[in-house]
Amino acid sequence: MKTLRAALLAAGLLTTLGHGAAQPLLDFTAEERARIAGHGPWPPPRLPDRSNRVDGQLAAINFGRLLFFDATLSADGTLSCASCHMPERAFQDGLPVARGRAAGLRNTPSLLDAAQRRWLGWDGALDSLWAASVTPLVAGREMAASPAQLAAAVRREPRLTTGYRAAFGAPPGPDDEPVLVDLGKALAAYQATLVSGRTPFDDFRDALARGDTAAAAAYPQAAQRGLRLFVGEGRCSVCHAGPAFTNGEFADVGVPYFVPGGVDAGRHEGLSRLRPSRYNRLGPYNDAGPADPQAVTTRHVAPQHRNFGEFRVPSLRQLTHTAPYMHDGSLATVEDVVRHYSELNEERLHADGERILRPLRLDVKQAADLAAFLRSLSTGGR
Amino acid sequence: MRRWCFAVACAVAGAAHAACPPDPADGAAVAAGPVSLAWRAEPGAIVQGEPFSLLLKVCPAQAVLTAVDATMPEHRHGMNYRPSLRALGDGRWRADGLLWHMSGRWELRFDLRHEGSVHTLRQDVALR
Repeated sequence: MKTLRAALLAAGLLTTLGHGAAQPLLDFTAEERARIAGHGPWPPPRLPDRSNRVDGQLAAINFGRLLFFDATLSADGTLSCASCHMPERAFQDGLPVARGRAAGLRNTPSLLDAAQRRWLGWDGALDSLWAASVTPLVAGREMAASPAQLAAAVRREPRLTTGYRAAFGAPPGPDDEPVLVDLGKALAAYQATLVSGRTPFDDFRDALARGDTAAAAAYPQAAQRGLRLFVGEGRCSVCHAGPAFTNGEFADVGVPYFVPGGVDAGRHEGLSRLRPSRYNRLGPYNDAGPADPQAVTTRHVAPQHRNFGEFRVPSLRQLTHTAPYMHDGSLATVEDVVRHYSELNEERLHADGERILRPLRLDVKQAADLAAFLRSLSTGGR
Repeated sequence: MRRWCFAVACAVAGAAHAACPPDPADGAAVAAGPVSLAWRAEPGAIVQGEPFSLLLKVCPAQAVLTAVDATMPEHRHGMNYRPSLRALGDGRWRADGLLWHMSGRWELRFDLRHEGSVHTLRQDVALR
């Protein structure tokens, strides 16, 4: 009887410990720890956009928020920015490809953390958040408004006139294009406030960095193993680098670029649109002019042969809230993405030198671990 | 934060340095034949995915810096950006618009024209 009681007590104790205690921390090497630390801290310091004179200003943020949800900005009054960039869906739409006035060819990207991007759009045709806000207002497939229609609405609608005056300190002028650009800058001021929250990975990363082993061990072991794959053998962090899990550049990852009626040339097309645009950082609407430090990449970017079929390396933050994945929305789940990289079609890739990408050939457990890590990059993700 | 470090030390031509010794404050030294240069990055650390500039001192001062480039030899690709060069006088130059978008071994390349010949100087930098 005593033996049974002792056994039950021991079992109870073990159950209690097992329920509340942390799992063991993997024996990360110094090199692995350094790589993991490189993915933080989060959130990063806010980077002001000097090309936008109202960036960070409360009146502009408020006006931008008003505009973001206002269908007056579309040609037929039925679409607002929020129609595709839905707040409840991490500011994307959950569809494979966008549906504006007409069906699009690419997946709607989340706007979370968009202010940190050097290039916007899957092809990087846009080099500022305000340019990326102007473009969909007038794009035929998206909101399809004209500069004249938009400027007239701002001059006519009292709520818009009042908001404009508060944001820019003067009523809208007689020329339509500057008003259009100012709408983009107010929208950008609002979107710059959309910063994604901290994730289980961030808590782990910070705990590891400060040597708090107990707190770090609260991070699930499957995610730890997946992280080890991500920064190590999988070489995912070669492109998905830094706190935002992107190097901000472009890559061909073997997703077909054939679209109905032709091909989507990706970065190649993006650069051909960027250069002549009046709305780029080298153009007349950059409020900082040549002194804009962020214009350096627009000034020096050089087209490459390999740009054809390359698309922007996306951030992996808030991944579970931003399905489906890839530039064409062709992968529905995180597991599909892991499978894509595990079974990569090498013949589909440009590989002039070392194969930066190669099939990971993950077994079932490794695939589950990598998915567990990727899920931990989302708010509430475990 | 990813930082760079030198992976390979390059030979320095003694004759060039006797005429125009690089100051250690000018940064890492590299030489080929009769020319040499020293360079340092601005801001101080090269960070993966962030644009940076190079401040250079060439020797002899009348040598002309005609190109700065960088490649990842194993990947067989270079930068997505083409740097611009500006002469600051007295052999000092500035290169703007560099950006290294991947970690790994980068090979910096400098072309210097001097007395009718072009000299190419190379130096490896490991971006971690």
